[in-house]
Amino acid sequence: MSEAILGRPRGSAFSRYRHSLWLLTTRDLKVRYSTSFLGYFWSILDPLLMAAIYWFVFQVVFGRGVGHEPYIVFLLSALLPWTWFNGSISDATRAFTREAKLIRSTRIPRTIWVGRIVLSKGIEFLASIPVIIVFVLVTLGTPDPAHLQWSALLLPLAVVLQAVLTFGIGLIVAPLVVFFRDLERAVKLVLRFGFYASPVVYGIGDLPGWLQPWAALNPLSGVFSLYRSAFFPQELRWFDVGVSAAMSVVLLAIGLLVFRRTIPTVLKEI
Amino acid sequence: MAASVTPVISVADAGIRFKRNRRSRRNFKDLFAGKKRRTRPGEFWALRKVSFDVMPGEAIGVVGRNGQGKSTLLKLVAEVVFPDEGTVKVHAGVAPLIEITGGFVNDLTVRDNVYLTAGLHGMKKTEIDERFDEIIDFAEIGDFLDTPYKHLSSGMKVRIAFSVVTRLEEPVILVDEVLAVGDKAFREKCYRRIEELLSGGRTLFFVSHSEKDLKRFCTRGLYLDKGRLVLDGPISEVLDRYNADYGTTA
Repeated sequence: MSEAILGRPRGSAFSRYRHSLWLLTTRDLKVRYSTSFLGYFWSILDPLLMAAIYWFVFQVVFGRGVGHEPYIVFLLSALLPWTWFNGSISDATRAFTREAKLIRSTRIPRTIWVGRIVLSKGIEFLASIPVIIVFVLVTLGTPDPAHLQWSALLLPLAVVLQAVLTFGIGLIVAPLVVFFRDLERAVKLVLRFGFYASPVVYGIGDLPGWLQPWAALNPLSGVFSLYRSAFFPQELRWFDVGVSAAMSVVLLAIGLLVFRRTIPTVLKEI
Repeated sequence: MAASVTPVISVADAGIRFKRNRRSRRNFKDLFAGKKRRTRPGEFWALRKVSFDVMPGEAIGVVGRNGQGKSTLLKLVAEVVFPDEGTVKVHAGVAPLIEITGGFVNDLTVRDNVYLTAGLHGMKKTEIDERFDEIIDFAEIGDFLDTPYKHLSSGMKVRIAFSVVTRLEEPVILVDEVLAVGDKAFREKCYRRIEELLSGGRTLFFVSHSEKDLKRFCTRGLYLDKGRLVLDGPISEVLDRYNADYGTTA
């Protein structure tokens, strides 16, 4: 026996965290795209189909009573981020149960199991943005073309806000589902409710006046108003954005706390 | 290297408890209760008041009957579960041969899986590149590199997993009876690999029911019974005591 083996040199905790997070994120994307022919198209097919349905219902059947022209761009600019949020949270309910074996055999920081979901869905979201651009180009030939505004530069802020918010909620949901399996279904229900409670098919301005301050309490209102301002400057509501930012940070703090307190028990249960 | 003799693993008064049955009641208050709460009904201590230090280069065999906490101890050392009381400190990287195939993804190819598993244990891409051929050679599955993992035979699955984890070059190796699988020739190959690692100064933590294997690798034994560390001494003494207690000679 010679001297003690020190093992391979290790980077800082942060670089190792990033390394593992990226590894699992790319794994998620690889699995999703290697197991299906349509690959990338699946991630935009769902929002596209939904957009077609809502466009038909609100534009063709009811005649446009909400939103702005062109309605399809109005719709997609919140529907695509919603798809990110919705997909992340519903996957977060299975973050521990689906990967139980892997989680039982590695000791990487556990928040990565939630973070990788938010990140891989986020990358799919960014990859779906060209869809909006295509529709914007299409509307150029119509009487109501969409115009790109300077506030499109706020996109990174919106993405960061939404990532913080989604990560925070995911950190709360993921461990609790391990203890209360019913929560998985409850979350699906709440998400469906959340879709209509958030300004996706309508804008905050379409709500009755007394309801508008309350709508700001939904942290997604501010986030979606940022996204929408890229084409509809009148949708930008800084008050809602402020509330959103504050709530996102608070939810992330709660999420980290819940996660820390529950993780020893989670590891025993899975 | 007298100066560097600090323990690589130190376990102090460690204890962990589990629920006896999955349906026992649980409420939100329990979840947020502090560590120091007493045992609640329906829970039992899988391990309690376990203390020991492991020096670099030691080869430790864990002995005990089924359900006496051997695997739980290994998981504590691997830091994949946390103790409810006491502390478990591991001061070096660990290559855990516990549930080794768990990290492999069915839909990805063998190649992708090797990079994924080694990467999750902290290896950089270039480091894996350097060792890749070695890993594949050892597992003897060169023809299946681009086959999805799910199409491998169960023997091949274990072989590739073993091969990856033992090439991690971590100073501490944990082995939990994984070697019971695979054919005889490969098992012997695995054993030789473990001996090779041991002579390279690695620390080994070995759980097994096979007296022959324990004697082959280990110098020191830990005897666990009813969640307590009953005896900590040379492996032959520990095995004698175990045999005396449970009257087995095999």
